[in-house]
Amino acid sequence: MSRPQSIARRMGRRFLQHRLAVGSLVALLLLALLSIGAPVAESLLGLDSETTNLFQRSQPPSFEHPLGTDEIGRDLLLRLLHGGRVSLAVAVAAALASAIIGTAIGVFAGYYGGRFDAILMRFTDGVISLPLLPLLIVLAAIDLSKLGLPDSVTQSEDVSLYRIIAIISVVGWTTVARLVRAETLTLKQREFVRAAVAQGATGGRIMRVHILPNAVSPIIVATTLSVGNIILFESVLSFLGLGIQPPVASWGNMLTNAQELIWSAPQLAVWPGLLIFVTVIAFNFLGDGLQDALDPRAAD
Amino acid sequence: MFPYIAGRLFESIIVLLVLSFAVYGLIGLMPGDPIDLMIQGDPKLTPADAKRLKALHGLDQPILDRYLAWLGNAMQGDFGYSRNHSKPAIDVIAGGIGNTVLLLGISLILSLAIAVPVGVYAALRPYSKTDYIVNLACFAGISMPPFWLALLLIILFAVVLKWLPAGGMETVGDGSFLDRLHHLVLPVITLTIASVGDFTRFIRASMLQTLRYDFIRTARAKGLSMTRVVTGHALRNALLPLVTIVGLSFGRLFSGALITETMFAWHGMGKMIYDAILGNDYNLALIGLLFATGLTLIGNFLADAGYVWLDPRVSLAGREQQQ
Amino acid sequence: MRRIGLALIFLLGVTFPAAAKDTLVIGISQFPRNFNPNIESMLAKSYVLAMARRQLTVYDADWKLVCLLCTVLPSYENGRAVNELTADGKPGIAVTYTIHPDAVWGDGVPITTKDVQFTVEAGQNRKSGFGNSELYKRITKVEAKDDKTFTLHVNKRTCDYAGIADLGLLPAHIERPNFADPAEYRHRSAYETDTTNPGLWYGPYRVSKVVAGSYIALEQNPKWWGKKPAFKRIIVKAIENTAALTANLLSGDIDYIAGELGLTVDQALAFQKRHGDTFDFTYKPGLIYEHIDLNLDNPVFADVRVRRALLHAMDRDAINQQLFQGHQPVAHGQTNPLDEVYEPEISKYAYDPKRAKELLAAAGWSQMRKGVRHNAKGERLQLELMTTAGNKSRELIQQVLQSQLRQVGVDLRIRNEPARVFFGDTVSYRKFRDMAMFAWISAPRNIPRTTLHSDQIPSADNGWSGQNYTGFKNPEIDTVIEDMETVCGEKENLALWSRLQRIYSEALPVLPLYFRANAYIVPKWLKGIVPTGHQFSSALWIENWHAEQ
Repeated sequence: MSRPQSIARRMGRRFLQHRLAVGSLVALLLLALLSIGAPVAESLLGLDSETTNLFQRSQPPSFEHPLGTDEIGRDLLLRLLHGGRVSLAVAVAAALASAIIGTAIGVFAGYYGGRFDAILMRFTDGVISLPLLPLLIVLAAIDLSKLGLPDSVTQSEDVSLYRIIAIISVVGWTTVARLVRAETLTLKQREFVRAAVAQGATGGRIMRVHILPNAVSPIIVATTLSVGNIILFESVLSFLGLGIQPPVASWGNMLTNAQELIWSAPQLAVWPGLLIFVTVIAFNFLGDGLQDALDPRAAD
Repeated sequence: MFPYIAGRLFESIIVLLVLSFAVYGLIGLMPGDPIDLMIQGDPKLTPADAKRLKALHGLDQPILDRYLAWLGNAMQGDFGYSRNHSKPAIDVIAGGIGNTVLLLGISLILSLAIAVPVGVYAALRPYSKTDYIVNLACFAGISMPPFWLALLLIILFAVVLKWLPAGGMETVGDGSFLDRLHHLVLPVITLTIASVGDFTRFIRASMLQTLRYDFIRTARAKGLSMTRVVTGHALRNALLPLVTIVGLSFGRLFSGALITETMFAWHGMGKMIYDAILGNDYNLALIGLLFATGLTLIGNFLADAGYVWLDPRVSLAGREQQQ
Repeated sequence: MRRIGLALIFLLGVTFPAAAKDTLVIGISQFPRNFNPNIESMLAKSYVLAMARRQLTVYDADWKLVCLLCTVLPSYENGRAVNELTADGKPGIAVTYTIHPDAVWGDGVPITTKDVQFTVEAGQNRKSGFGNSELYKRITKVEAKDDKTFTLHVNKRTCDYAGIADLGLLPAHIERPNFADPAEYRHRSAYETDTTNPGLWYGPYRVSKVVAGSYIALEQNPKWWGKKPAFKRIIVKAIENTAALTANLLSGDIDYIAGELGLTVDQALAFQKRHGDTFDFTYKPGLIYEHIDLNLDNPVFADVRVRRALLHAMDRDAINQQLFQGHQPVAHGQTNPLDEVYEPEISKYAYDPKRAKELLAAAGWSQMRKGVRHNAKGERLQLELMTTAGNKSRELIQQVLQSQLRQVGVDLRIRNEPARVFFGDTVSYRKFRDMAMFAWISAPRNIPRTTLHSDQIPSADNGWSGQNYTGFKNPEIDTVIEDMETVCGEKENLALWSRLQRIYSEALPVLPLYFRANAYIVPKWLKGIVPTGHQFSSALWIENWHAEQ
């Protein structure tokens, strides 16, 4: 085994070779930066993303509004930046939470097997088949102040955001769990794991040192793909009226609202649609590049 | 093999049972009832009327009692009446199952028929121009919100080109086989575009991985042709993750069907279950969800069985070994 | 692969001839879940049934009560309405109707008083599951004079005695056997089990085919005794997504989008922008009153100056002009200006942010901190506005109001819930903390007892019945409402209506926003549709619809 430092360097090099992935990473970082910088843009333009102006509805781009205005006269560029902030934050947070839960459950089930595996996997099956819809509606209706959460949270307009992150992580971990378990089952039969068992290594150590590093590429592929999927899922939830609630903007609810305006103001749909499209693609390419870089079996 | 299947069957029944209670409980937990909405729409309907109607639908009974009553009847094959359709729930759902299975089945087969050859082809030429184009196309399909994709397709093919009907399942007064097929095209394309990318990506990724395994290299070294290696050895291995994904996608496809069915006014189960849940139509929602769950479980089971068939190193008996 | 390609091309290439003009395809946004006229009221159902059934009495497009199935409305003048006392000595009334002499069910069986008796019997049975039971509760006896003439004895004397639209006539010769077990009636009714049975229908059309979730086909009813309709067939298609609905209109899959349940005004306006030349657009303001209920138990709203200030701060006129191009008129109270009882001389609160600021300051909200008003106790003027999630028009207005109120230092927070939660829990149990935005749908001259009378405030004591969700208590309003139901002289009654509207606009228990309109998108060749603007749909006069080249 080579020293960790050189492994990391080799991975970095391999990743850099994947030009689309690097491009995607740059694009995503740029999007993230722009989204985080939304307040700066607000002060530069001297506008804010929530002030409506009924006398400037669906305006074309102008000096004052670089991308024009939406159907109630808000600056479209600022809405998109704020929307990106929400969409990206929700997707990344939910994907990470799902990946952590899924990996833990998958590796335990796969490694220990037996009844433990059966219970965990039937639990996973149950969660996979759990109807999301009533769950969403119930969660949307729970009175958070009764749960003892402080007023600053329950009165906040961001509350639909936290709900969605929670819901997605509660139900979204199953894919990773299944993949990790499958990978663990395969790895467990491999010679190097058997050797480690024979040498008396503890279960925890085997999982940590031998199984997880080898199972990491499907986890990464699944997680990066799921970031994209969650951005899409959020837009579908908006379509069903259960997504991020106004006045908080997200790309999903902007796109949903714009579908009715497709005849009169198609630009309102084009922008969020395009951003969702680009972001999801970028996450996919990024996952692709990471897979190539991290996969120990990949050719140098 | 048989005890294994029996075991899985038993587990599945437990899952179904737990799930049916979870669904019942969840619907019951949702505040409000469509009857409350009726008051808003009818100035003369009084809250007293609403109360009487709720009692009529048994909504004033404790949830556990209602569930047990439902379970008792369901055991005897009586799934009750759909409250909103005033028809036996099983008749209502039967009207939707065929349509949904038709839609999902065709698009699943179509997706696989496209994904497997394209994925393998791309994997054999990694990082070539073709590979990039395939990747890009896959990602493009995945990256479109389904309702948006559906709308764009309707606008293109129905409004602008006028080649295909914008929605519905048949032309009124026609309803011939060809006519129904004609109506299927757009919803199937929508579902296929949304799912084919994932499948292709997985095929490609696992094929790439498989091709690096030692036994493939050995086979190549022995002088076997690439085609032989791929069809004889690698494909089998590469299909492993796909089996998982397809198995899992049974349930997911149903939620995809909800959007497609809504956009194309396609009378299927996805939409029916959604409306039933929102409408507190317990009997209909339960039977629909149990059916969908059953399909998912079968999918998972087939995925597991497929694993064994494709990868002899995983044994079904793995569980016994541990004990 | 090539074969698939060819098949696809073949499929794409096939075009079907456009529907001939003897068929009219109507697009609506909801599919009727069931067909029995008395069980569950649902807009989609009443729209379709209007083509195949006719109530005894309805309000017409001029908002006048008229007979559809009866021959003449009862009145004291024509002797068909007679005051009487009920068994326990309370004021009652007897009203007499005659069914149209030629009226028959679609299978040729005459419509008679037997059908009326059966319907009332079914409606009075608590187990039958009829939606609106108020009328049946009031009827003490049905007296059949002969086959066509009957008298209803009603135990409550009100001014609107003549209207009996809620009596949804059922064919006794078909339905009586199905009613053997009343609790099972809603499942056994022929309207559900045998929907295309001609004997169930008696309008210009009858239901000839139902493809669940997709469309309903209606064909001419040969037994119809009135004017012969122009179209041979009517197809009602349900497409829930409005963007898809408009796409279907453009592709020619549907001819016409019904105003009763199609697009909202803002959606229709957006569509009109691009396709205004292809279709006729009609906007009919109606009896749908959009407003904000205030929780009057909240100390902030105890001061009427705050309520008035909020209304002054809302530029409702700009909302109407800019978002709805003037088609959804600003409401100044709960009575529609098109209603004959409307009183124009009431307090109105025009957009006046300066006045709003003065009023708020006078009410103690005088200290500005970071753009938000605070009172002497240091409390922040932060209000929560709730409505139904996913209703785009309301969400847009909410965000506009949020922006406008911020100008006067009010921090408006938006928190929405799905409709069933919002209505079923939050509003009906008065759980909204500050403000709730929704609509009341009413009929002409509908007395607002359930929404304004103080005994209609939902509470645990009255089993959460009543719809006075604001908690409005005003003794004078209570008396006026009680009098309105019984003082029937036109002049006296109008005076009461006027009084009611004046008090309402002074006390401002709710913030009126606007009256919603229905948007009818009609192809140029389709003529004869007269929007009504109330719960009785234009389809009740479908025999006047025709194609004009």
